[in-house]
Amino acid sequence: MTDLKASRRQFLQMAAYGGAATMLGTFPGISYSASGDTLTVRFDREMESLDPGYYVGGHPPNDVNWCVMPALVHYGDGPGGWVPSPYVEKIEVTDSTHIDFTLKKGLKWSGGFGEVTTADVAYSYDRMKESEWKGDYVAYDRVDIKDKYNGTIVLNQPFSPFMSATLASGTGIIVCKEAVEAAGGKYTIDIPATCGPYVFEHKQAQYVKMRPNPDWSGPKPPYANIDCIFVTEAEAGALAYEAGELDCTKITSNSYARYNKNLPPNSKLTVAGALQYMWMGINTEHPKLKDIRVRRAIQHAVDQASIIQGAYSGTAEPSFGVVCPGLVGKRDQASYSYDPGKAREMLAEAGASGLKLTLRTLNNQERILAAQIIQANLAAIGITVEVIPLDSGPFWEMGQESKGDTWKDLELWIMRYGAGTDPYEPFQWFVRDQVGIWNWERWSSDEFEDLFAQGVAETDPDKRHKIYIRMQEIMEDTGGYVWLTHEPEVFIHRADIDARFAPSGEMQMAYFKAK
Amino acid sequence: MWLYLGKRLMLSVVIVLMAILVLFSMLHMIPGDPISIALGPRATPEVQAAYAAKMHLDKPLFYQFLIFIGNVLQGDLGEDVFSGRAVTQTLAEQLPYTIVLAVSALFWSALIGIPLGCFSAIRPNTWIDRVTGILSVGTIAVPSFLVSIWAILVFSITLRWLPVIGAGDEGDIVDQLRHLILPAFAVGLGWVGYLARMVRASMLEVMSENYIRSARAFGLRSRTVIFRYALKVAVLPTITLIGIGFGGLLSGTVFAEIIFARPGIGKVIYDMVLARNFPVVQGAVLATIALYVIVTLIADLVVSWLDPRVRDSL
Repeated sequence: MTDLKASRRQFLQMAAYGGAATMLGTFPGISYSASGDTLTVRFDREMESLDPGYYVGGHPPNDVNWCVMPALVHYGDGPGGWVPSPYVEKIEVTDSTHIDFTLKKGLKWSGGFGEVTTADVAYSYDRMKESEWKGDYVAYDRVDIKDKYNGTIVLNQPFSPFMSATLASGTGIIVCKEAVEAAGGKYTIDIPATCGPYVFEHKQAQYVKMRPNPDWSGPKPPYANIDCIFVTEAEAGALAYEAGELDCTKITSNSYARYNKNLPPNSKLTVAGALQYMWMGINTEHPKLKDIRVRRAIQHAVDQASIIQGAYSGTAEPSFGVVCPGLVGKRDQASYSYDPGKAREMLAEAGASGLKLTLRTLNNQERILAAQIIQANLAAIGITVEVIPLDSGPFWEMGQESKGDTWKDLELWIMRYGAGTDPYEPFQWFVRDQVGIWNWERWSSDEFEDLFAQGVAETDPDKRHKIYIRMQEIMEDTGGYVWLTHEPEVFIHRADIDARFAPSGEMQMAYFKAK
Repeated sequence: MWLYLGKRLMLSVVIVLMAILVLFSMLHMIPGDPISIALGPRATPEVQAAYAAKMHLDKPLFYQFLIFIGNVLQGDLGEDVFSGRAVTQTLAEQLPYTIVLAVSALFWSALIGIPLGCFSAIRPNTWIDRVTGILSVGTIAVPSFLVSIWAILVFSITLRWLPVIGAGDEGDIVDQLRHLILPAFAVGLGWVGYLARMVRASMLEVMSENYIRSARAFGLRSRTVIFRYALKVAVLPTITLIGIGFGGLLSGTVFAEIIFARPGIGKVIYDMVLARNFPVVQGAVLATIALYVIVTLIADLVVSWLDPRVRDSL
C-alpha cells in the first residue's frame, strides 16, 4: 500500500508534480477485457445517495462519482498519494495553506449547464463545510476565484493531508452549482448534472451501466463500457467471478484465505488497503469496570492471534491502535500482551470475582466469531460473558446519549470504524466532545486534546508519528481498548487487468486498463 | 359460487388489513430510533427533522397508522427514502421478475412432480415407488440455497453452460430464459418432492374408493380410470397445497434472487433492509402479502369450482 507520509520537502515535490499535470492528468489507453471493451464489476450494495455531502458509505458512491463527476485530484502513485485529475491543467501546492489550480477548458456539464468553472469548485467545497461530511473540511477556508478557470484554495491552517485525505477522497467531488441549486441544494441518486468520461444508467437493485459520454472532451478512459452489477452476497460475487461473469469483485476474509491457497486461473488478488480498525471497547465509567485493574485484566485476557485465525482465517492484520497500516503513527505493538495468568492476578488484586459482563456486537459472521473467542478467553479468567448480537440500527445508537439510556448499560462491545488516508481522522472520534457521541469508552484527557490539535497542524511526518504514537498510548492506558484487527479490503480480478483502487477500498474504474 | 366468491373476497380483505396492522406494528417495534435507522448516524438534526416531518414520524402513532392505511388504500406506498421514487414504481419493476421465477419454478416442479406421484401411486411398494420416495424426501430436505450453490458450481463454474448473475439482457428473450434456468431449478426442486408425495398419497386414497373399483369392474381401461377419474379428484388437495405453498415458494425466491443477484421483490427487501430504506421494505412486504393472498384466493376458487362440496364449507 502507498505510504502517505508527507513533509515540507514533499510539498515542494508536489508543486513540481503539479507542473506535469497535463501529462499525468489523463487515463491510460483503450482496453479490452474478456467481454470486449466492457469491464464488469460487482457493487456489494445499493446506493443511497451519490451526493458527496450526504452519502452514507464510500462504496459504491465513490466508484460511480469518480467516473462521472469532476475532481481536482485523484488517488494515485504520486508523492502524496494523489495525482492531478484529467479535469485540471495544473494544480500546485504553493505553500502550506494555499493550493493553486487551473481547470481544463471546454469540460461541459450535462443538461446544458455550461462548462465546469471555478465557481463550481468554490460552491462544492463551501457546501461540504455545511454537510454531513464537514469533518473532512476542517482545514478548508475558501476558494479565491481568479477567473473562470483559475482559483486558489485557501486553508485556515496548515494541513498536509488535505490533498489526499480531502480532495482525492469521495468528498472532494465537484458538483455543478447551477444544477444543484436548481435541485434544491442536495440530491440523491439522480445527479442534477454530470461531467465525466461516462454517463450512467442506474436500475435499482440490478445494475449501474456506464457508457461513453458523447460530450466528453477529455481523455478517453481505457474501457468504453463499465457494467456494475449489484451482488449483495460476497460469496455469490466470488462464485460469479469464478464463473467468468465478473472481472473484479471485493471478497471476504474466507474467500481471501481460500484463494490464497488456490487462485483461479488468470486471476490476481489485490489488497487495496486495510483502513479499518477494530477493537473491543470497555466502558470506563460502568460500575463493574470502573477499576482500571479489571480493564487491564481484560486487555491481558484476550487472545488477538486466535481471533485473527479463528474469525478472519489469518487474513487480517493485528491492530495495536487506531492508526491503520501504511499511515504515519502506526504502532507495531501494544503495551500489554496475551497473558491469562497475569489477567487472573489483576482480577484477584481488584477483588473482582464472579464478574458477569455483556459483550455487544454487530450481527455478522466474523464479529460473532470474534465475540465467541473473547467469551471463551474471558471465561478462562473467571469472567462470564453474554454475547448480544445486534442489527445495525440499535448497534450504532447504543453509546449515544441522545438516543436513549443504553449507554449507561454498555459494558463491552466490538467496534469497527473505517479510517481516511490520514492518521488525524480516527482520533477525532475520541476527543472530549465525542464522549457520549462516538467516544463510548467515556474518557478524556487534556494531553490528548492538545496532541490532537498539534497533530492536525504539524506537517513533519516524524513529529506527527510521535504525536500519534503517544495519543494511542494514552488511549490504551485508559484500559478502555483491546485492539483487535485491521481488516483488509481485498479484491480478486483478472490477472490481465491492471486494476486501480483507492486506499479506502473503492474501485477507480476509469483507470482500470488491460495489460 | 357467487356467494362463495363474495365471502372469500371479504376474508382476503380482512387478511390484508390484519397484515397491514401487523406490518405497521412490527416496523414500530424495531429497537432504535426509526429516523436514525433510516438516515444513518451522520445525519444532521435538520435532515432528521425534515425526514420526520416527511414521513409523519413527528405525529402520534395512531395518526401515523391512519395515514398509512389511507395511503395504502389509495395505492400510495410512499417514497424511496434516498431516490425519492415512488415505491409502487419500484415494485412494478421488480414484481414481474419474482412472479416469473415463482411460476417457472412451480411449472417445472408440477411437470415432474405430479406424474412422478401418479407413477409411484399406481405401482405402490415396488422398487420404483421406493426410489421415487427417497428422491422426493431428498429434494424436500435440501434447502434451496444449497441447491443454488451446487447448481452454480456444476453448471456455471465447472461446465460453463449457464450464467450465474442477473436476469439477462432486456429484449433478449433467449438470454433471459438462460438466466432463469438455474434459479427456477433451485427454487422448484423441493417442490418436485412435495408434489410427488402429495399426489401419491391422494391417488392411493382415491384408487381405493368404490367408484374407482366400479369403473375397473365395468372393464374401463386402466389409463382411463387413472387419468379421467382418479387424478381429477386426487389433484384437488395438490391445488390447495400449491396455493398455500406459494408463500413458501416466495421465500425460496428470496434466496435465489440474492444468490443469483437476480432482480425481484426478495432481493429488493434484502437490499433495502441493508440500506435501511424502510418505506421500500414496507411496500415490498405488503406486495408479497397481497400476492400471497391473491394466489391463495385463486387456488381456493379453482378447488371450489372443481369440487362443489368446498363452496358449502365456508
